[in-house]
Amino acid sequence: KVQLRTATYIRYKANSECQNNVSSPTLDKETEDAATDNDRSDSGEFVVTMLAKAKLEEQGIGVKGRSSPLLEVGTQETPAFISHRDEDVTAESWRQHRKHVFVLSEAGKPIYSRYGSEEALSSTMGVMMALVSFVQSGDNIIRSEHIVVFLQKGPLVLVCVSSSRQTEQQLRGELLYVYYQIISMLTQASISRIFEHKKNYDLRRLLAGSEKILDGLLNLLDSDPSFLLAAVHCLPLACSLRDSLSQILQKAITPNLVFSILIARNQLLTIVQEKTVIEDARLEPADVHLLLNLIGASSAFQAGEIWTPICLPLFNPDCYFYAYISYLDPPECTVCLLLLSTDKEAFYAVAECKRKIEEAMMAQNSLSLIAKVQSYSVSQVGVSDLRHFMYKPFDVPDNYRHEEEKMRLLDLYRYMHNRIHSTSRPLKLIYHVAERETLLAWVTSKFELYTCFSPLVTKACAITAITKLLRWIKKEEDRLFIRYPPKYSTTPNPSKSSRGGKSDQQDSTDNGFLSLL
Amino acid sequence: VLTAARMASGMQEKQYTPSLLNFFVYNPTFGQKEGEEEKKILFYHPSDVEKNEKIRNVGLCEAIVQFTRTFCPTKPAKSLHTQKNRQFFFEPEDNFWIVMVVRNPMIEKPNKDGKPPTVEYQEEEIIDTVYGAVVKQCYSMYKLFNGTFGRQMEAGGVELLIQKLEKFFYRYLQTLHLQSCDLLDVFGGISFFPLDKMTYLKIQSFVNRVEESLSLIKYTAFLYNDQLIWSGLEQDDMRILYKYLTTSLFPRHSEPELAGRDSPLRPEVAGNLLHYGRFLTGPTNLKDPEAKFRFPKIFVSTEDGYEELHLIVYKAMSAAACFMISASVELTRDFCEQLDGLVGPQLTLLASDICEQFTVNRRISGPEKEPQFKFIYFNHMNLAEKSTIHMRKTASVCLTSVHPDLMKILGDINCDFARVDEDEEIIVKAMTDYWVVGKKSDQRELYVILNQKNANLIEVNEEVKRLCATQFNNIFFLD
Repeated sequence: KVQLRTATYIRYKANSECQNNVSSPTLDKETEDAATDNDRSDSGEFVVTMLAKAKLEEQGIGVKGRSSPLLEVGTQETPAFISHRDEDVTAESWRQHRKHVFVLSEAGKPIYSRYGSEEALSSTMGVMMALVSFVQSGDNIIRSEHIVVFLQKGPLVLVCVSSSRQTEQQLRGELLYVYYQIISMLTQASISRIFEHKKNYDLRRLLAGSEKILDGLLNLLDSDPSFLLAAVHCLPLACSLRDSLSQILQKAITPNLVFSILIARNQLLTIVQEKTVIEDARLEPADVHLLLNLIGASSAFQAGEIWTPICLPLFNPDCYFYAYISYLDPPECTVCLLLLSTDKEAFYAVAECKRKIEEAMMAQNSLSLIAKVQSYSVSQVGVSDLRHFMYKPFDVPDNYRHEEEKMRLLDLYRYMHNRIHSTSRPLKLIYHVAERETLLAWVTSKFELYTCFSPLVTKACAITAITKLLRWIKKEEDRLFIRYPPKYSTTPNPSKSSRGGKSDQQDSTDNGFLSLL
Repeated sequence: VLTAARMASGMQEKQYTPSLLNFFVYNPTFGQKEGEEEKKILFYHPSDVEKNEKIRNVGLCEAIVQFTRTFCPTKPAKSLHTQKNRQFFFEPEDNFWIVMVVRNPMIEKPNKDGKPPTVEYQEEEIIDTVYGAVVKQCYSMYKLFNGTFGRQMEAGGVELLIQKLEKFFYRYLQTLHLQSCDLLDVFGGISFFPLDKMTYLKIQSFVNRVEESLSLIKYTAFLYNDQLIWSGLEQDDMRILYKYLTTSLFPRHSEPELAGRDSPLRPEVAGNLLHYGRFLTGPTNLKDPEAKFRFPKIFVSTEDGYEELHLIVYKAMSAAACFMISASVELTRDFCEQLDGLVGPQLTLLASDICEQFTVNRRISGPEKEPQFKFIYFNHMNLAEKSTIHMRKTASVCLTSVHPDLMKILGDINCDFARVDEDEEIIVKAMTDYWVVGKKSDQRELYVILNQKNANLIEVNEEVKRLCATQFNNIFFLD
């Protein structure tokens, strides 16, 4: 509550500040537009809020000494998020990066670069823009030792230069994720409007401080297979525990609340949704990934409660939801509650829901139960030859703990995924005997499965192992997957929740490939 | 370019196969000054394109190469994929670039109410390795008949190079049939004729005798029926010469031979009933003293560069012998008559010997109506290739007995094999329930296509094991 009030204060203050700091007529017009145009008020306010917070930090005025949710102070950074902003772009080490990602506007203005600062790269970006305009419009790629993939979405151009041996379709999918993450912060409608209004607008002004989020997303794309499989990783819970958590969420509702999500250790515990307005529509896995990334990208979310506008690009790219984010177990901060509302003034009501949820969970001792839950491992399956498998979702065995090996294994799965889902010559099964492992990928109308064995395994052994594995998965299905998100109604006479509707991820006809594309 | 239409609920879809859009050769170091960009362009097809467009296209290629050099200075762009076409970049010699632009295959679906048809581009149908190999082959073929670009520059500057490029590619590009390129183009292999030891020795001693008698001869190659038996040339040279012989020279001269004895197509044996030998290159009629003749010149590599040679191709029935003599020597009519007299009878004899052996072997192994296994085999060490899938492969036609999609799956597997050096095995089941097995072992690759819809992985494995045991003497050891 304190934070929100401060934010509001900052908002008002910032409006006047912005106007005082006018340096050019065009800038003036923009802020005026932002402040006065009711239509655009969402993005305008959002923008100003962020900017203002940044500004205040510069002046040494913080919010209780903590940095804003979407910015980060150096000392709190984890090694994984060390900024590469200051890298020397002429050095060999810059060239050696496995995957570069660049975002620029149609006018050639740099917006984001994963490694190196946009300033230093502005001429390279200029060349990229020239290439895009010369070569026909549409999605193009250049193949060399690296693959260069160009993707144009509206007024934004995204470019990926990768030596990771992924295919162009996979890289394009990753660029799309980057695009969606930008949308999740600004909405598609406002980006279109901004560039329509001013072709050479510098979008970095609106994205200041959010490089971390894009960096985090790119790291996740590299290391987390749930993006590849368009699936959300669920923490395996006993049915009863999951049901009890769902019920707690279903009871703590308020008008305009549409989604309630519980997350533990970056895996989904449960998700419940409003039934009248949302009906059978569901959150696409990609939206959930973007949410998870947003939350995980900044440890500042661990401070108390956050109320922030967020757009869910696949659900509706043009409007904002308002997300209430709060960790239920400070200071470990492993369990996070996410409540999405369509009403931007509903902070207090939604915060009240959280209080109810917290109480109920305390009463049921849920937090300690959740803490006890273990992710499943291959050994549980009891199949001796099997080293690793991915069955939408997946598991991580000992062999591949080491980062590089994990990456290598994931690359192998990615290559198989691409071959199986080829648009012109898809396959049903791949059995690949290589020097360090044997891989088997199998897709049917009911599932897709990727497995990894020792290189010396015989075909008969591999088949037996797969059969055993599938039997085990069938047995544990209820524990491993969330099929149907329970629902609630926030209309005046809320009826009991009803089951039904499409499954969250285990769609029986789903062949894997994507709503993302 | 336009293949048979597909009927779809009364409306016809038109399928367009990949075709050549552009082919050009340029050097960015020529014409670096403003206004002199045209000097960079050494060859451009189609030639009737406006000058500025040519400059723009070449400029774009330069930009792309430069751009990729930012990320990897030593290995710049190989291809550019766009929705409608694909561009391939190849730098065979320092600063000389060859670019080929292929239009992607597409399907035209008619629309109702007089609306223009919708075009759907099939980008994935083009496999980079296949067409990349075709570009390289274009260069190799040019180099075979003209030597390197560098050498041309030395001999006569840019003007000579431009002339030679025009002369060569104008004709050669017309022989490209992009719709039938596949895995075999990636291999660029040679089909060897299987022989018993005795006959092989006979051929060897024939070659030795001829080389001894006609000391001018530097290298010899011996073929039977479009298949190689013996070669004294370096592998890389032989493989491009082989391609030329089997896709260009032999087909041009094969009709007369197939014609009946009394057919007017049959070349004049010129009163020489001692043998059936004749020159395929050089003098077509030795009896006519006025007739001028010329042998094509080829360039082969040596330790310290290249040498230029006359290419004499002499054929008797189904056997063909190639003799290569230094281009600095002038080959006279007398020499040709001498060669004719020496080689003619011996080659004719050899040809019938081989034919006999061949028929005998066939009788033993049994007639092969339809080969039992559909497979492709290639050995990187000796370039030996064998395919029971391709029924007739010339420059203009390539009939395969399997669906093109399956051939593309083979192409994909070959790409996968190329990523690592180690031995691997990949088995896939296609959507049509065909099984495709790829094995790579010790520089050899084998691809087998099995039409056994209800087979499972184990059964497929057993089938392939059986094939390997009979045809490949257990070279491939993976389980």
